[in-house]
Amino acid sequence: MTKKRTGVFVCHCGTNIAATVDVAKVAKEMAGENTVAFTQEYVYMCSEPGQESVVQAIKDNKLDSVVVTCCSPNLHEKTFRDNAERAGINNFTCEIANIREQCSWVHNDKAKGTEKAIKISRSVVRRVNRNQALDAVAVNVTRRAMVIGGGIAGIQAALDIANAGIEVVLVEKQATIGGRMLQLSETFPTLDCSQCVLSPKMVEVKRHPKIKLMTYSDVQEVTGSVGNFRVKVHKRSTFVDPDKCKICDHCTVVCPVVVPNEYELNLTARRAIYIPYAQAIPASFTLDEDACLGLNPVVCGKCKDVCEAGAIDYDMRSQTVVEDVGAIVVATGFDLYDQANMQELGGGKIEDVLDGLQFERLCSASGATQGHVLRPSDHKEPKEVVFIQCVGSRDPAKHCAYCSKICCMYTAKHARLYKKHVPDGRAYVFYIDIRSGGKGYEEFVQRTMEDDDTLYLRGRVSKLYRHNGKVRVLGTDTLTGQNVEIDADMVVLALAMVPSKGTTEIAKVLKIGRDKDGFMAEAHPKLRPVESVTGGIYLAGAAQAPKDIPETVAQAGAAAAKVIALLSQATLNRSPLIAKVRRSHCTGCGMCVEACPFIAIRLEGGKAVVNEALCEGCGSCSATCLRAAIDVKNVTQLQIYEMIEACLAV
Amino acid sequence: MINIQDIRETARDMLTKGEVRAVIGYRRGSRGMLAEPTFITSAEQADELVWDPTCFHNLSLYLVHDRKFLAHIRKNAEAPVAIVAKGCDARSIVVLMQEHYFKREDVYIIGVSCEGTGVLDERKLAKHLNGAQASNVAFDGGDFVFTTAEGEKRLPAREVMADRCLECRIPFPREHNIVFGEDKTGRQLEAPFAALTRFEAQGTGARWDFWSHHFDRCIRCFACRSVCPMCYCDECVVDSITFPVTTETTAEDKANRIRWIERSAVRSENITYLMTRAMHLAGRCTDCGECERACPVNVPIRLLNNKMEREAREQFGFEPGASIGGPSLVASFLDRDPGDFIR
Amino acid sequence: MSEQQVYEPRIVAFLCKWCSSAGSDLAGVSRIQYPANATPITVPCTGAISPMYIMSAFNKGADGVLVSGCHIGDCHYIEGNYLARRKMKLIMELLEFIGVEPNRFRMSWVSAAEGAKFAKVVTDFVNDLKPLGPQDKLKKAEHT
Repeated sequence: MTKKRTGVFVCHCGTNIAATVDVAKVAKEMAGENTVAFTQEYVYMCSEPGQESVVQAIKDNKLDSVVVTCCSPNLHEKTFRDNAERAGINNFTCEIANIREQCSWVHNDKAKGTEKAIKISRSVVRRVNRNQALDAVAVNVTRRAMVIGGGIAGIQAALDIANAGIEVVLVEKQATIGGRMLQLSETFPTLDCSQCVLSPKMVEVKRHPKIKLMTYSDVQEVTGSVGNFRVKVHKRSTFVDPDKCKICDHCTVVCPVVVPNEYELNLTARRAIYIPYAQAIPASFTLDEDACLGLNPVVCGKCKDVCEAGAIDYDMRSQTVVEDVGAIVVATGFDLYDQANMQELGGGKIEDVLDGLQFERLCSASGATQGHVLRPSDHKEPKEVVFIQCVGSRDPAKHCAYCSKICCMYTAKHARLYKKHVPDGRAYVFYIDIRSGGKGYEEFVQRTMEDDDTLYLRGRVSKLYRHNGKVRVLGTDTLTGQNVEIDADMVVLALAMVPSKGTTEIAKVLKIGRDKDGFMAEAHPKLRPVESVTGGIYLAGAAQAPKDIPETVAQAGAAAAKVIALLSQATLNRSPLIAKVRRSHCTGCGMCVEACPFIAIRLEGGKAVVNEALCEGCGSCSATCLRAAIDVKNVTQLQIYEMIEACLAV
Repeated sequence: MINIQDIRETARDMLTKGEVRAVIGYRRGSRGMLAEPTFITSAEQADELVWDPTCFHNLSLYLVHDRKFLAHIRKNAEAPVAIVAKGCDARSIVVLMQEHYFKREDVYIIGVSCEGTGVLDERKLAKHLNGAQASNVAFDGGDFVFTTAEGEKRLPAREVMADRCLECRIPFPREHNIVFGEDKTGRQLEAPFAALTRFEAQGTGARWDFWSHHFDRCIRCFACRSVCPMCYCDECVVDSITFPVTTETTAEDKANRIRWIERSAVRSENITYLMTRAMHLAGRCTDCGECERACPVNVPIRLLNNKMEREAREQFGFEPGASIGGPSLVASFLDRDPGDFIR
Repeated sequence: MSEQQVYEPRIVAFLCKWCSSAGSDLAGVSRIQYPANATPITVPCTGAISPMYIMSAFNKGADGVLVSGCHIGDCHYIEGNYLARRKMKLIMELLEFIGVEPNRFRMSWVSAAEGAKFAKVVTDFVNDLKPLGPQDKLKKAEHT
């Protein structure tokens, strides 16, 4: 092996690195390495002149490999690998030594920081010494996408992708698409009717020739990787043929079973056979198998008897459908934080204490009370309503640490809607801070306070309880320092937004990470906000973090753009960092075959053989092999061995 | 009680019919009373075979040698090989088959049950004989009967048996084609892992004192490796002098050898060698005890392997050599594997 | 090292790329300070960590070895961390068995979201290693 000519480029990152790491010393130490032919330091290596100087240095010094000691490889590995390629050397001979996130930012002792930065850099120099020039493995791309979740985020993403001519499978868990937005009455800050804005999009989804809609369905299993996923979707049986159903409503009239209506947040009841909303897409009834007396004409069979269209089929079975797609958008949305967690506010057991979504349904013309704001306990118009913000949010000790972002705005909206419905009523809002950043948002809140005469009280509510047919609210107004006591007819809690039920499971199925609050984790908080850590899987809407409708729509569009960009390529470059067998050492014991999570290794003629299309390069095989007969390219055991040595060199 | 004539008859019969090309068994050795391994290829040699308490050797080692030899002369086996195997030896054969070293049909296992006893520990015997020499030893129920110059001497087997046999849980070759002797699984001579448990009762410091003493004494002669049927690798990862150069060996292979340890027999390198060996035998070692018997400086190697065996059993419910189609210890996992040590 | 100098344990930290390395990046982004004793080596997955790496690090004089990866169920490669959990348990038991102080080897699960946890894991490890002093049991003798 001829000796490598490695160039080491030490970035100051302004003072981000240079303040706690002696960059000149790092460069000097690296110059002493046997394989290093060139070193250079620069204030911003990732800047245009910085990158240019790397290209120039590679050419001038005939470098064959590059180590950039800078920030995390998650940020600029691609930048510098592309750069290396521009200079005419293989991009896999370029590696990043992370001396910012893993060093300068976390150590303020310059001597120790410098020593560690040298160890990190030296270990990467040694690794690069044995890096091979590799060519990416080209794989064909399945030009189809899947969107999981049929709320506004999923709808928007599906439409944007489909409008680019790419087929989309839209999978929704519920019997209709529309999600949370379909439950809203009006939207801030324009107070336009939520359903009026959303319904046309829902219809468009239904009619779009490029969208395959699968409602009442769950994603069960995802295999494969970017460009070629294979998804198993479990489609539950609705027992009603949507193509035949005329939504004439005859079936619900005869159905003897009454259960709480989850689409109306349990404010009303529904039958075992039901349609979630009048605007539901698909426009069809669904027979709730759990509630139905038995899907059996002998037991009941009334709905089937009365259905003139012959749409009801008790023998309809759930089925598992396999869909091959190249990219996936996850738009699984949010739920409200469970009221049961709020013991100080009654834990959901006090009558006339509603959550924000329930209040939306009370205001909605299609809702439980046909758009009249009536309190649930006695169906009277509430004259005094207390709205409480930050319920479960911004409470790191007991509840969610984060701000749910939309509650300030929707509470202001609720107060305004309430005043519209009950002009002589009085609205109180308990708040901690008002966060109304957004176009037209601050003005909206101000109008609520001024025009609608809503009383904003800065403080927390300590207790709620029933008192003389009302809900007594005990709180503090921290601006006046007074304790406040209000006997309200109704209380509305702006509960925190949490990831929707099932987020944990779907994240596991997709193998994408979640953040500390359980929301889907983006690949980078600033630069890759719509990408998950896993290639080919994108995020949209409140599944990623609390956000309002305009933001959700924007993110869905961004996710769609990513999908379109990905799927517009004929082939994708798969990472060539995959396992390779040293045949002379392989005894064919099969332990790697057993350890491989991707079934990518098989025995052939008594030796292990790697399927390059399936191998993900995890290295489980290599750590299991007793003979070091299998290695991941460019992360070989020999390389790690030499990195260990470099880390411990005095 | 096993009648040696039955084993000889089986061997003779198979060799006569050509069902096997050889029988690997034990014969009277050239040193005192000890048996030695033998490879017999003709029916006439069948009468050489013996079965007595000195049949220590794990003969599956010679199955490995046989395969390597065939590979060397580039020949395929024309017929199976028969092998005399005790419980532990048969489990070794199962592990080798698990690892596809050979197929089940390549081996005819003549199982021998250790019944109520096991093999002899020469060192224990020497104490009992007080300098006298035994010329022969035979099983007799729970006793071993020795022939010495002063006549016959009978000793309870438990007093002179190898520790591993006393602790053996399954003194019976479950995987076999034919088996002699009764299955006495469940006999309780000593609690399994008894010696290990006694050793572990000591504190960290005492354990280190014990091991550093032994690690210092290891001369890295690799006798333990040579005698172990599981150490069948062509190149040992911790002793890269044994580099296999085959037609498939590339220049890259040669360049990419890792010197995990240095060759000098000093403590740090000896530790790395012996611990690597213990890790590599985890879930594969069937406690045949040959490594410890072969060690010229009496390093208690079995204790290391025993430790791994017990962890595998207690933490992961894993039994080495339980079945040919079973999982291997380090390439598999269970959801309920312990994780409480992880922070 | 002279007697006067404060003993600083040297740690090799094997971090999986997807969770713990990302978690340590987050510690950086959040500017959470922790001791500089641990030098990270990023590997694709904890499942790729051969027990030989642990042995080798001690052999080359590491005072402590840290292995950190994704929480169970979160492995980017589905089951790599399950395989690691078993292997690392075995090597840990073996180290303790021969009389190496249990605190010299440590394993943790640190997700990409747990920057603060990563800092704590390293801080705790350093604090636990300091009273043990330099590791010379498995360390290769220096050539003189």
